[in-house]
Amino acid sequence: MSELKPTNRKAELLLKAAQDGHVAEVVAMDTVAGCATTFDPGWEVDPFGGVASLCQPMEADLYGCSDPCWWPAQVPDTMNTYPDWDAGKPSAQNDWRELDAVFPKK
Amino acid sequence: MATPKGLAVAALLLAAVVATMPEALGRDLLITGAKPDRLYVIDPATRRIESEFRIPGANGLVGSIVPSPDGRIAYVLINRMESIVGVDLKSGKIVFRADLSRPGERVKDFFAFAVTPDGKELIAYELPTLLKPNEYQVEEPRFAVFRTSAGLKAGPVRRFAAPRRIHMLLMRPDGRSFYALGFDLYEYDVKTGKLLGTRGIQKWELPGHTQPDLLAFWPVTEPTGVFTSPLYSDERVGGNTVPKTALMSLDLASGTLDYHDFEPLAALIFSTVLSPDRKTAYGVYTTLTRIDVQSHALAGRVPLDHTFYAVNMASDGHELYLGGAMCDVGFYDAATLHKNAVLKLPGCADQSLASLRVIHAR
Repeated sequence: MSELKPTNRKAELLLKAAQDGHVAEVVAMDTVAGCATTFDPGWEVDPFGGVASLCQPMEADLYGCSDPCWWPAQVPDTMNTYPDWDAGKPSAQNDWRELDAVFPKK
Repeated sequence: MATPKGLAVAALLLAAVVATMPEALGRDLLITGAKPDRLYVIDPATRRIESEFRIPGANGLVGSIVPSPDGRIAYVLINRMESIVGVDLKSGKIVFRADLSRPGERVKDFFAFAVTPDGKELIAYELPTLLKPNEYQVEEPRFAVFRTSAGLKAGPVRRFAAPRRIHMLLMRPDGRSFYALGFDLYEYDVKTGKLLGTRGIQKWELPGHTQPDLLAFWPVTEPTGVFTSPLYSDERVGGNTVPKTALMSLDLASGTLDYHDFEPLAALIFSTVLSPDRKTAYGVYTTLTRIDVQSHALAGRVPLDHTFYAVNMASDGHELYLGGAMCDVGFYDAATLHKNAVLKLPGCADQSLASLRVIHAR
């Protein structure tokens, strides 16, 4: 941990929890859903470090992950900030080319 | 030889017996949803869509589906998890709508709601956030109870405190209490909101195993009244740990909660269903898996065309129904795991996290 420096409040809290012996209370996954609450790897790697246990194809999993804001670093937060990201694109396997990157509104 | 009077009595007895048989409930119908706002009623016998309904204000999400106990109404989570509607499955008319959010307070319901056995009340899990001018203030989670007769502007008739991280509510058949599934399995009194008990999941101290974990978003309890889900933990073997997949089962009537490993973790993640004879369970991910419930062993596996999230089963146990994720509903033979048919939804619209439920035609 000495080589890692917290860069935001959440990381500072985690570091403090580790120092206070509470880090075991931080539990990954286990039925948690919602923006920024999961620690799963994304579509790049499965829990075993490979790709064989990922959803196939990833388009099958695209809306199932974006709808509950599972991996907000990889797809926009459609629950709150970008609810129209998939508007007019009901089929991930056919419409994936039209699913664009998003940028903060000015 | 039977007399006319005897025949009449026999006919009455036969009618009574038939009335208690599953067939008396009517043929199976499948309910699923798809983007952006569609609800489908599918006849598995003909592999055809019987009805296609549009849900106004779905806002791109058709999620958890809970049929009313009489099978006439499908309650559906929509609107980015901020609204629940009741859709009349004959007419498609929206007969109930509860918008959970209000100005200044955003409320999300992560998949979790249930309907009482008399069909009169709907219980939703609410995660509220106050949207203040300069900050978002996270409020305590709660259960909100609505009368299903309240129409299109339903408001809660009572609320009570709830734990965090709940993602499924399962009503018990006596209607007095319901289960809330999250980090643990909680049971609450429907009327008073009193916490009646807490068991499993993280509190389980399984011999030789680490703390278990699960991902259960599909509230399927048909055809047995037993909810099942894959569940994962590491088995300690010597100095090493081996990831294992178990089948968790919760009998809503008896309250019996079971857990049994059946294979190393790798191939089954999403949802499972228990056969009517309770001897076999089936699960989906990128494969279709059969589990021998009595010996707790993997009993069969076939690859699927793609990942499916949701699995359900014919009331007589002869066929499996696969849905969720992409735009097709699969029909698989329960005995052989052979693919019998595939139904593509119109426009190939994704089902995403929509539940796949079985009701009985009326």
